[in-house]
Amino acid sequence: MTPGPLRFEGREVPVFDGDTVASALFRSGVRTFSRSLKGHRRRGLYCGTGECPNCTVTVDGVPGVRSCITPAAGGMRVERGRGWPSAEHDLLHVADLAHPLMPVGFYLKTFIRPRFAWRMAERVIRRATGSGPLPANAPATRTISRHVRCETIVVGAGIAGLTAALEGAAGGERVLLCDEFAIGSRLAPGPTLDAVRALETRARATRAIEVFERHAALGLFDGPTVPLAGSDELVQVRADRVVVATGATESHQLFPGNDLPGVWLGRAASAMAALHGVAPGRRVVVVASTTEGVEHLQALVAAGARVVAAVVPAAFVDEVPHETEAIVDGELVEARGHGRLRSVIVRELGERRRIACDALVLSTGLGPRDELARMAVNETVRLVGDVALEADEPALGGGYLCLCEDVALHDAEQAWAEGFRSAEILKRYTTATMGPCQGAMCGPALSCFARGRAEAADMRSGARTTARPPLRPVALQTLAAPVHEVIEKRTGLHDTHVAAGATLGWSSGWKRPISYADPADEYRAVRERVGLMDVGTLGRFLIAGRDATTLAGVVFAGRIDDLEPGRSRYVLALDEGGYVVDDGLLCALENGSYLLTSTSGGAERMDARLREWAERLGLHVHVLDRTSELGAILVAGPRARDLVGGLTDDPIDAASLPYPGHRELTVAGVPCRAIRSGFVGELAFELHHPRSNGPRLWTSLQRAGRDMRLSPFGLAALELLRMEKGHVYLGQDTLPDDTPAKLGLARAVDMSKPWFVGKAALERLAELPPTRRLAGLVFEGAADGAELRGAPLTIGAAVVGRVTSAERSPALDRAIGLGWIRGGRDGFPSELRAGNAVARVVPTPFYDPEGTRIRG
Amino acid sequence: MTLEIACPNCGERAHTEFAFGGEERPHDSPDVAADFERVFHPSNAEGPQRERWYHALGCRSWFVLTRDTRTNRVG
Repeated sequence: MTPGPLRFEGREVPVFDGDTVASALFRSGVRTFSRSLKGHRRRGLYCGTGECPNCTVTVDGVPGVRSCITPAAGGMRVERGRGWPSAEHDLLHVADLAHPLMPVGFYLKTFIRPRFAWRMAERVIRRATGSGPLPANAPATRTISRHVRCETIVVGAGIAGLTAALEGAAGGERVLLCDEFAIGSRLAPGPTLDAVRALETRARATRAIEVFERHAALGLFDGPTVPLAGSDELVQVRADRVVVATGATESHQLFPGNDLPGVWLGRAASAMAALHGVAPGRRVVVVASTTEGVEHLQALVAAGARVVAAVVPAAFVDEVPHETEAIVDGELVEARGHGRLRSVIVRELGERRRIACDALVLSTGLGPRDELARMAVNETVRLVGDVALEADEPALGGGYLCLCEDVALHDAEQAWAEGFRSAEILKRYTTATMGPCQGAMCGPALSCFARGRAEAADMRSGARTTARPPLRPVALQTLAAPVHEVIEKRTGLHDTHVAAGATLGWSSGWKRPISYADPADEYRAVRERVGLMDVGTLGRFLIAGRDATTLAGVVFAGRIDDLEPGRSRYVLALDEGGYVVDDGLLCALENGSYLLTSTSGGAERMDARLREWAERLGLHVHVLDRTSELGAILVAGPRARDLVGGLTDDPIDAASLPYPGHRELTVAGVPCRAIRSGFVGELAFELHHPRSNGPRLWTSLQRAGRDMRLSPFGLAALELLRMEKGHVYLGQDTLPDDTPAKLGLARAVDMSKPWFVGKAALERLAELPPTRRLAGLVFEGAADGAELRGAPLTIGAAVVGRVTSAERSPALDRAIGLGWIRGGRDGFPSELRAGNAVARVVPTPFYDPEGTRIRG
Repeated sequence: MTLEIACPNCGERAHTEFAFGGEERPHDSPDVAADFERVFHPSNAEGPQRERWYHALGCRSWFVLTRDTRTNRVG
């Protein structure tokens, strides 16, 4: 704990050892901890176990923190959330006087007409309610997610939970024992704490028991799986058996004045006195009808609190300390006071009697914390200890049913009169049990209310409402932990790009240069001179072994067995539905093996696919993923051969290294495999090299290309270059059910092969008339093209397609694009509209259709 | 959904490490008609089903297991 005082609304509040935020504030005189949601009624400490909403405050900018279970630390900034101008002097308390104007279900009844009224009312309501604004621009802390396996998980480390864990371990089970708090930390000294400490010592000495303190169970899922939220992690526990030992909450009693600051549940009051050394009041009245209640009474007196009267059943009268007046078999009628408790009315032997006091401590029954058990639809759970009890029936004499949502008993009665006659629909109409406590306080009372009024035959009317995760308030960042991991992949040239001032962006998990300065200049360099691009993100696979050709022939739709060493071929991978899932370039090597380059985003899928078919067909194949060990630089442009030729002694003329082909070269002293590639539509060499040599090769190329006014280029220029060639970006221009024919890639399929993945489907699909295809488009009447991306393609009023890519092409000096078009009985349309522009269907490539520049 | 999957190489792991590869159906005939049956008419069993799984975030091996599609119990 950080020593020193905490800051509470501008003043310093001293913090003592073991203090919670609530105990430190209470000691310094704070009685009103929050204002209620609707009526802005004062609310003080009540449950002390983190279940009721009363003690929620804003700590270091985070609203909704339950101060009674949050350890205090020096330097904390604590404020109360609701209330204007402050929670202490809250003018919005007038809302409480307006309670009759905001009847139960008022969302459904008021401000409905005229229509504009709701929008105005909502603005006011939004501002008046809520726990406070979320912190803006708060630095994200890291929450991790992990999986833990055990045989038995025991939720709750009280006497019952510890006992169950020890029994399980003795029976040879691996046990995980969890509790939302540190074991025993919320108990006042007494026989219960002694018993817990004795069991705790044994449990900690038992190797088969793993203890997770301060980890709150959030729910129960199939498996069974129980996720636990710790302060900085989400632990997903998979178990064979679930033991629920979550105990019970002290009953929330309904009587007039039951929500006044100064009304406490026994656990909160005894912990405040015995653990934190602060009496809950100067004059305390205790109402105890359970053995636990008597323990609380004794703990209060032992800690020095002045208990003026104790209302107890006759059986407990001997347990009442002599300095306290025992009121035997009395009945609590009402709590009185304005903004804080002043007195209670007790009926004793038929007589009403007023006792002046400033604290009323209630320990009158138990309601099981059985939410996990009620969630167990497909799983069986074992209940041990108090959680297995039937709920005691709380008194329903008036006051507030639901503290979170400000639902009074008379609201519930009115809802009943309006015809909402079971706990489930009373919940929906009144919003009782929907607040932060999720029914921990009011759930048993709501069911009891419904049960008491329902026809005897209608058993479901009084059933507890459905329990749903999360059981405890949890930060979204904790829940997001499993999907939050973002792994930034970098190529070997990352630092080079950063030093060059490149704008970096995400592209399928990689950080890649979007551009270095001006994409238009970069584009011109490639078309007119020479450009360099880092393509180290491409997937690279070595496919070797006796059956390498067979595997390639199965996974790829085109012909493979005639590919000569030194030559390359564009290949398409289909799924079994005949749909295009990947493409790549397959390079045949001298020894019967292949080097495959695949798309940057599809490398993992390609790896899985190759391994799948090698395994299914039992082939003699080795698949080696070389993606991370090889860098690659694309040298593209009319002067690419001059540039590379100046740095190598190996022959790279069109005869020695033709298109499409590849060979080993030593460029600037770096061993490379050069692949002639056609993606950007110019003479181009992909230089695949050992990754660590990347910066050296890049620098050598840049230096040698200075006279040619070489420029590095990024993804922005690449987009324009590939579009002019009509090349398809899988994922951007394609849909999940695209066959090669729809994409205009039928040339990459060899239907004469006996079998390949997807062939059966393609044969069937070939019998259907083509209904949709990807087409090249030129736009008239569009200045830029970029504004047309995603635009619908229309004929008259009918939408018959969509633009998937669009750019202004400098080579054609007009806007071009790719897009889907649907055909009818008379074939495909040739002219459509895209917004205000006319879209004319044209063959692709747009640029250099014969491909003479690529072959160069 | 939470599944626990025993990878033959890596042992029991959380399902988030794996990719699903569909129902396992014998692939033994190059006959296109039979292949069409295999691809487009899965049995879609209600109950135990043999399935292919890929340990994507582990050893990258493919294997076959039996899962009950009603209860998600594996093995």
